[in-house]
Amino acid sequence: MAPLNRTRLLCAMLLCACVGTEPQSGKSLGGTLVISTGSNPDILVPALLSSVQAAQIVDLVYDRLANIGDSLNILNDAGFTPRLADGWTWGRDSLTIAFHIDPRAKWHDGAPVRSNDVRFTFQSTTDSTLGSGTAALISNIDSVTTPDSATAVFWFHARSPQQFYDATFQMPIIPEHIWKGVPPASWRGSEAARHPIGSGQYRFVRWIPGAVVELAADTANYRGSPKLSRVIWSIAPDFNTAVTRFLSGETDFFEALRLENLPEVARHPELKTKKYRGLGYIFAQFNLRDPVNHSRPHPIFGNRDLRRALTMATDRVTLVRSVYDSLAIPALGPTVRAYPTTDPNLAQIPFDLARARQLLDSLGWRDANGDGIRERNGRPLQFSLIVPNSSRPRVSVAVLLQEQLRQAGVKVDVEQLDFPVLIERERKRAFDAAIGQWNTQPSPGSIRGTWGTAGSRASSGSNYSSYENPIFDANVDSALSSFNPAARKAYFTRAYETIIQDAPAIWLAEPLPTVGYHSRLQLAPLRSDAYWAHIPDWWIPADKRIPRDNAPTSIVPAESAGKKTP
Amino acid sequence: MLRYLGGRLVQAVVIVAIVATITFALIHLAPGDPFSGVMDNPNVNERVRTTLRAQYGLDRPLPEQFVRYFGLLARGDLGWSFSHDRPVTEVLATTLPNTLLLMAIALTGSFALGILIALVQVARRGSTTDHALSAISLFFFSIPDFWLAILALLAFTYWLPLFPVGGTVDAVTHDYMGLGERIVDRLRHLALPALTLTVLASPGVARYQRAALLDVLPADYIRTARLKGLTEREILRRHALRNALLPIISLLGLSFPALLTGAFFIEKIFSWPGMGLAVITAIGSRDYNLVMGGVILGSIMVTAGSLLADLLYAWADPRIRAR
Repeated sequence: MAPLNRTRLLCAMLLCACVGTEPQSGKSLGGTLVISTGSNPDILVPALLSSVQAAQIVDLVYDRLANIGDSLNILNDAGFTPRLADGWTWGRDSLTIAFHIDPRAKWHDGAPVRSNDVRFTFQSTTDSTLGSGTAALISNIDSVTTPDSATAVFWFHARSPQQFYDATFQMPIIPEHIWKGVPPASWRGSEAARHPIGSGQYRFVRWIPGAVVELAADTANYRGSPKLSRVIWSIAPDFNTAVTRFLSGETDFFEALRLENLPEVARHPELKTKKYRGLGYIFAQFNLRDPVNHSRPHPIFGNRDLRRALTMATDRVTLVRSVYDSLAIPALGPTVRAYPTTDPNLAQIPFDLARARQLLDSLGWRDANGDGIRERNGRPLQFSLIVPNSSRPRVSVAVLLQEQLRQAGVKVDVEQLDFPVLIERERKRAFDAAIGQWNTQPSPGSIRGTWGTAGSRASSGSNYSSYENPIFDANVDSALSSFNPAARKAYFTRAYETIIQDAPAIWLAEPLPTVGYHSRLQLAPLRSDAYWAHIPDWWIPADKRIPRDNAPTSIVPAESAGKKTP
Repeated sequence: MLRYLGGRLVQAVVIVAIVATITFALIHLAPGDPFSGVMDNPNVNERVRTTLRAQYGLDRPLPEQFVRYFGLLARGDLGWSFSHDRPVTEVLATTLPNTLLLMAIALTGSFALGILIALVQVARRGSTTDHALSAISLFFFSIPDFWLAILALLAFTYWLPLFPVGGTVDAVTHDYMGLGERIVDRLRHLALPALTLTVLASPGVARYQRAALLDVLPADYIRTARLKGLTEREILRRHALRNALLPIISLLGLSFPALLTGAFFIEKIFSWPGMGLAVITAIGSRDYNLVMGGVILGSIMVTAGSLLADLLYAWADPRIRAR
């Protein structure tokens, strides 16, 4: 070997050594992430949970067959990465997908993950006695068969662009040997629900309701050990208490800072904030049907031009800036920018107060008696706007909207309601207008239920506005059944533009969720639908660890002793 | 005495039954049900809601639900908590000791502090100290519970970080501590909510006790004590206070509802996992059974407090006993 080559080899070896050791020392296993949260998780069973806190824990404890990518693509399997399945094969007619289970995958109790676990997960999720909301989302899956212990074959009713997403995203796999002895109707109160055993990179340690949930790194996990040795949710049911815990250094991470918290966070140089695109949007929706007699159109909002005039009278940019400052941007429509199918340049009804006034005049709504409120045939242009009293930003939005519409001669009575009362009023369509928010999934398909005709006519539908437009429905259907990304986006654009112009709601804000975290914490990208998706890749440099980072994870806490802790 | 006790017990049972009936009607008549909030999801269809309502018997007519609930109640079963997914008795068994601990400390602390303030005020009646203590007492007496709690939380956990921010223990490290450290940790967490509740309750005691002391001071036996040459401090401590304590026993019974209500707010602000916090959360989520269980237990505590006060009164005052 020539001397030059030897030098190169030496340099290469040194480089390899440096590259190899730096992350090992800097990102070595260790550190405790303490998340400050304002709510208790409801239930740690994937098919039954409904709270965000439960979703966070379940997503770290359980694995899916494949994981959705950060781009949230749901078309076929593009962007999906292997998880419990180390590979998959599509059937010739695309009505089947055969998943091959990673032979290294094990449950936290040491049992191997097998294909029968996948079949059991599907069967139990669709069992009507379980009462899982997921069942409706996987209705396109006919069955799951297991030709051998390492292969689970999904059989679909029909070819669909998101059938891979349905089979993977909606169903974290649960262990059959733990759950098979528990009747589905009893899952909610079962011991297994309180001490979940999964196959994810974190294993469950303890849950003290109202106080703490603790997970520990599964160092022998088939996907490798996560970098943080513990993840703890410190639960404080009061929002201010939860924030104070974060500001005082008792916790490392706060998942949903509000605008009023930002100046306080800024006073702490050791704390940082990070925004990410979420999947929620806020709107003021009009009830298009008469609240008293649903067979008749609403006396005010039944008119499309009037709804457009109200949208024109709303300065959304100012409203959003006033309430959310940098923590939200004006909404585009019944969608979010994080979807690959959303065109960020969707045509909007522009803010134009003069035109709004003209339009209202032309519709016969005039202020004849000079009291500042328009009337027509003796009826004032007045309606009530219901808003949940639990959301301060939404109450502020309602008040600002009230003031903006007042300038157009419209009287809005803001009614703050307890959340269950508000939901009940919306379900019964017993309201004029409401400030609402939808938090969506990676699939934009839920728009069928929230704004489509199907969601309007079903008694349990979530289209509380009762908005119905066959053109909108047709475009949504075409978009959801299209396999071509460009065509899919074009159909969605047409659907969104149709509904924007019909104005069944004023599309107000798209919040930018903002997390606060301690600077010693090194974050990975925050995924739009689940900021916690990459927690296994978060880390704390060894030289920045504090005493609580070094709590021995091998010790089972006293409160968990005697329970079925893996 | 036994007859008296029996009569009061029957009264207590009737009161609790009435409270339970009214609460049952009110909570079921409120809009929404346990599955309203959590099921506000466009992906959850009516079949799921129907299944869940049927599983918990919420699809049955209200009178049937009423009979079924009180049938279970008669057997000591408080039902199933929808929001905690476990029996209500289990939820209350976990949370009640925390509430009782907080109340017991606050009750003892507030009576001790209140009586002490009253003694100082009466000993220096008409002085600047008396007026200042009166003003301070009135200030804390008038202040809303939740406001003082938030202020105390901010002041002593954030601006001046002397105490931890809520909870009964340091949830992150407590279970990894040694016994001594655990005790200290528990006391540190208990201090601020207990102090806040004590500060809120003691002004009432102080004002009540001051008035009672002023009532007994003109009495003949006090004058006799003075003529015997006893110091003012001895007169207050040995003669006036003992006689003026009698009305305070009544206050003890009346303090139970107030303290219980106060504890609810304190638990919410300080994330103290007590019964109050569980019930407040349950009201929001329409967890009927947990609300019922909490209210029934609360009413039992209040009636028991009242009964205890009556018994103490009868024990302390022979005239009552004779009647």
